Amino acid sequence: MNSTVVHSGPPADPLPDFQPLAVDGCEAVVLQVQQLVKSYGRGGRPAVDGLTFDVQEGEAFGLLGPNGAGKTTAISVMCTLLRPTAGSVHLDGIDVQAEPGRVRRLLGLVPQEIALYPRLTGRENLRYFARLYGLKGLELEERVADALELVQLQEHADRPVNSYSGGMKRRANLAAGMLHQPRILFLDEPTVGIDAQSRNLILDSLSRLRQAGTTLVYTTHYMEEAQQLCNRVAIMDGGRIIAEGEPAALIAGRAGCANLEQLFLQLTGSHLRDD
Amino acid sequence: MSGFFATFCKELLLIRRDRAGLMLLFIMPAVLVLVVSLVQNNLLETSGTAVPVLLVDEDGGELAKRLTDGLQELGALTLVRQDGDPLDATAAQDAVRGGDYQFAIVIPPGLTEEVRSRARQLAEQSLAGEGAAAEPPLATAELAVYFDPTVQGAFRTAVLSSLRLVVLGLETEEKGKVLAELLPQRIEKLLPALPFGFGTPRPQLSFHWNSEPVLAVREQVALAGGLTKLPTAVQQNVPAWALFGMFFIVIPLSGTLLRERQEGTLQRLRTLPVSPLAILAGKVAAYVLICLGQFGFMLLVGKTVLPLLGTPMLEIGSEPGAIFFLALSAALAATGFGILVGALVGSYEQATMVGSVAVVVAAALGGVMVPVYVMPQAMQAISLFSPLAWGLNGFLDLFVRGGDLISVLPNAFGLLAFFAVTLTLAWIGFLQRNRRGG
Repeated sequence: MNSTVVHSGPPADPLPDFQPLAVDGCEAVVLQVQQLVKSYGRGGRPAVDGLTFDVQEGEAFGLLGPNGAGKTTAISVMCTLLRPTAGSVHLDGIDVQAEPGRVRRLLGLVPQEIALYPRLTGRENLRYFARLYGLKGLELEERVADALELVQLQEHADRPVNSYSGGMKRRANLAAGMLHQPRILFLDEPTVGIDAQSRNLILDSLSRLRQAGTTLVYTTHYMEEAQQLCNRVAIMDGGRIIAEGEPAALIAGRAGCANLEQLFLQLTGSHLRDD
Repeated sequence: MSGFFATFCKELLLIRRDRAGLMLLFIMPAVLVLVVSLVQNNLLETSGTAVPVLLVDEDGGELAKRLTDGLQELGALTLVRQDGDPLDATAAQDAVRGGDYQFAIVIPPGLTEEVRSRARQLAEQSLAGEGAAAEPPLATAELAVYFDPTVQGAFRTAVLSSLRLVVLGLETEEKGKVLAELLPQRIEKLLPALPFGFGTPRPQLSFHWNSEPVLAVREQVALAGGLTKLPTAVQQNVPAWALFGMFFIVIPLSGTLLRERQEGTLQRLRTLPVSPLAILAGKVAAYVLICLGQFGFMLLVGKTVLPLLGTPMLEIGSEPGAIFFLALSAALAATGFGILVGALVGSYEQATMVGSVAVVVAAALGGVMVPVYVMPQAMQAISLFSPLAWGLNGFLDLFVRGGDLISVLPNAFGLLAFFAVTLTLAWIGFLQRNRRGG
């Protein structure tokens, strides 16, 4: 599955050959989003406008869209960070709005920013977040070690995060989000602005997580990544889903599209989104 | 050069876009200059507002009236009288001890009569000449001046000097009056003794009377619990600057909160299965511990380092439990303020400026730099709202006035209420920011 698509981010690098997991129709629905609306202030256009989709156990679901499409807002609502204006989100059958405390035990978030304490070491950061997840003792140390190993930061674990390269910080950011082995992991552009090697390693780590049963909800601007990592994608624009399905099926169903990026540009237009 | 100019223009543009930053850059220093200038105005002006002094007149006689008029004419003191329900000496002492007034002058009952009797006795003794059999001396009348132990020496001296000046005038006048009355009588008495009416009668005058006072000024510290020691500068300055330092925790604390918000850590924390109150409490506890450490360190410096430099050793009274409680309350207040600043500001520069300027203003108003009682009335009224004033007043009560846990409760509750209010406002700010998606 080697792609020749060149995107505006980092140069196209060979990515690990991920095989999207076959999704059995009988798999349990982990995430159910229904008619989700989120508006900021009165009178403005909703950032998310009637979003509806399901994500099944073990899926890697890509949420794609141009800047301002509503991806981050949608993830924020799903992760209990924002209250929806209307609609509902259920995670493992639990209403996110009604029982945010229970939902938080099931989810992990890898935000766009490097959400770590720069002056703490990688290991100190992970220990801190692991404690907040309720881990302790030997289990905590094992999880921290596993997470460091997954993102290959064992050798640098005792260095302050502010001495890390951009790629190392992104990897540590991922490690902090999956320490507690969440049922579903939300990743908001986890590979922005990093070197090819780190990007490759992050995608490899995500693939391993998925194989271990973790459900992924993934936003990215890099279509190549989405095409290779996600078994299903939804393309958003203006707060709405304008296309949803398996990448190959979406590409095949649209004339003149050889890959997901071409499909994306056809659907969302090639004009700049500077808002 | 083009790089310099481009950067110069870019920075100006950035500053222009940051309206809050501009406000801070221009309005805050103006506020600081205004407040500090007003606070220090009286210290630097020679004809500034007079020091307020509680006057209790238990005599009600002519001399008491002349004494009062003399003090008022002098203009250095503002005499405050309790008109409706006149106070007695004990109540005046209590008012000073409780911090309501820094000074009280008590004119005891019978002062007019005592001064006049003593002046007459002295005059008679003088006219009797050297070697005449002396009557047992009458007691010298005493004016009592009670002062708050926290009052700095310069102000105490100013009040006593004014009073002594007026007393000296009164004394001279009274002695002169009696002498003017008795001298002709004495001369008349001597006239028949001269043979054939020759010569001038010369009464034998002793000038001993001139140095004998008829009215004394007794200064007394209004101390509780039988304390007799006067406070030292160390006792004023150590708690004052310790509080100042504790409130400066606002800068690292607000900076940390701001970074958490800006770098996404807060976002991550909010998705964790842990109560935000637990995270907040952990943060508060850590910074409170640092504040307490600061305070303890300052006490240690006062106890061990300052004496090496020649100052008296810091005396902290005998209420360690009350000191800890008050220090804890102050630490909570400082931490609450730091959290509020961290929740409201939008940049690290704003946090630094708001934090430092607010603390300096609160310290100036709170009497850290200049005692509250010498500020103009308007500034004294504003100083009531400074948490540093509450803290400092409480510590002076414990270190200097011999106060205890009960006496510092109002100050401690003020600080705890400040902590609760700042935390609530911070929480509201946090919720509003979340609602806006910031």
